Amino acid sequence: MLGKLLKYEIPALSRRLVPLYIGWAATAVLLGLAVGPFSSKSGFMIVLTSLMYSAVAAAVLVMAVIMIIQRYSNSLLGDEAYFNQVLPVTAAEHIASKAVSALVWVLFSMIVMALTGIIIALFSGFLFDVNIPWTEIFHTIARAGFGEWLAFLQFILLSVISITKSVLAIYTAVTVGHQAQNHTTLASIGAYIGVLVFEALAARIFMTPMQNLFTNVDSAAKLNLGLLVLTLLTLALGAVYFFLCKYFMENKLNLD
Amino acid sequence: MARIEINDLTKEFGTLTALDNVSLELEKGQIVGLLGPNGSGKTTLIKLMNGLLTPTEGTVMINGMEPGVGTKKVVAYLPDRNALPEYMTTAQLLQLYQDFFGDFNLGKAEKMLDDLGIDRKQQMKKMSKGTKEKLQLCLVMARDAEVYLLDEPIGGVDPATRDYILRTIISNYNEDAVVIISTHLITDIESVLDDVVFLKEGKIVLHKKADDIREETGESVDQLFREVFRC
Repeated sequence: MLGKLLKYEIPALSRRLVPLYIGWAATAVLLGLAVGPFSSKSGFMIVLTSLMYSAVAAAVLVMAVIMIIQRYSNSLLGDEAYFNQVLPVTAAEHIASKAVSALVWVLFSMIVMALTGIIIALFSGFLFDVNIPWTEIFHTIARAGFGEWLAFLQFILLSVISITKSVLAIYTAVTVGHQAQNHTTLASIGAYIGVLVFEALAARIFMTPMQNLFTNVDSAAKLNLGLLVLTLLTLALGAVYFFLCKYFMENKLNLD
Repeated sequence: MARIEINDLTKEFGTLTALDNVSLELEKGQIVGLLGPNGSGKTTLIKLMNGLLTPTEGTVMINGMEPGVGTKKVVAYLPDRNALPEYMTTAQLLQLYQDFFGDFNLGKAEKMLDDLGIDRKQQMKKMSKGTKEKLQLCLVMARDAEVYLLDEPIGGVDPATRDYILRTIISNYNEDAVVIISTHLITDIESVLDDVVFLKEGKIVLHKKADDIREETGESVDQLFREVFRC
């Protein structure tokens, strides 16, 4: 059933997010053209397009986060929950589908951000003006040892797990906040502050003793070990949030 | 085993008791009217049967199971509001129902949509309130479910559609199913009811066969309702 949920979940957000990304890319084109070789190099235009790009970028990223939260809240705890919560699907599948969809869109936002950078470089002519030392870059990559490659993969894995954990932390706060009979948004914000305090405490309790493990090891191994510990802690926090959401949805669901 | 078994069910919202120690057994093969004025606990009871609310005390069993994935496979629910994604078209909603409900009968749904003249390409958000309600009802009644829970199915539609909806309910349910209709518009549905449950301030004040009410009291269900719930 998870696949079926994702079939509807991912497009549900694309409908609202894709137009925003297109707008963001358009402002990147304008900025690139304003600073590019064919422009009059008008200071006003450069400042205006820079401001437009920055404002749209910030707005798109904030909107993406808001839409991800709204999607969870409305479809599992709001009006659409009266349909979604009567589907023959487990609470775990519902939460997983929302988390996977959010992860996909956060990653896609990052890709769009990188693409807008490339668009600006392309339209401004920066890519053609600057001599990128490709050979040196490839040599550096080729010289990387097992430890460095492992650290690179670990970093990607940690990023993916961290995003998912952060999304699940927000979902937990929303689900717990929904237990309040009134002022659920305020209660959710309060619950999120509680989540942040819990994370800070968990990091203090588990990470402080771990620091001793990192002495007397070479730098690559130290990095690998550090990333492993961080990944496991993040994974554990994500699991705690997932099971909290699941518990509340299975045992404390009370739709208005 | 009764199709639906409710034992000592209580639901409290803070200091308000919406349902107070309700017990009820409903067998298959009947249309049950869950009748009561606004705020009597009808919607709360239906939500508890769907697992949308957690009981304060007591249990709800459908086919011997507590509300969960197992019961959701056999329960078709029409909520008292539009719960379907507004951005979807009728055709997409048909696909959605097919994907999730193994008992969804596409042919039945297509026929009902044709009868009511509902456009397959129209998005829900562009439909009138009445059309949205009709569409939701078509999708729910097109399931070959074992339990139908219909919360105010005739509340917001015109009298002609009301007749069509009632005909649809009668013609689409089978003898293995139980249909529960919650409403306070008794005159319109009285003719289709086999069984009647009166809810007052969260308590069941009467549970009888509709025919028995008419025989024993010489009154219609509607007349009895007006007596019991006189303000």
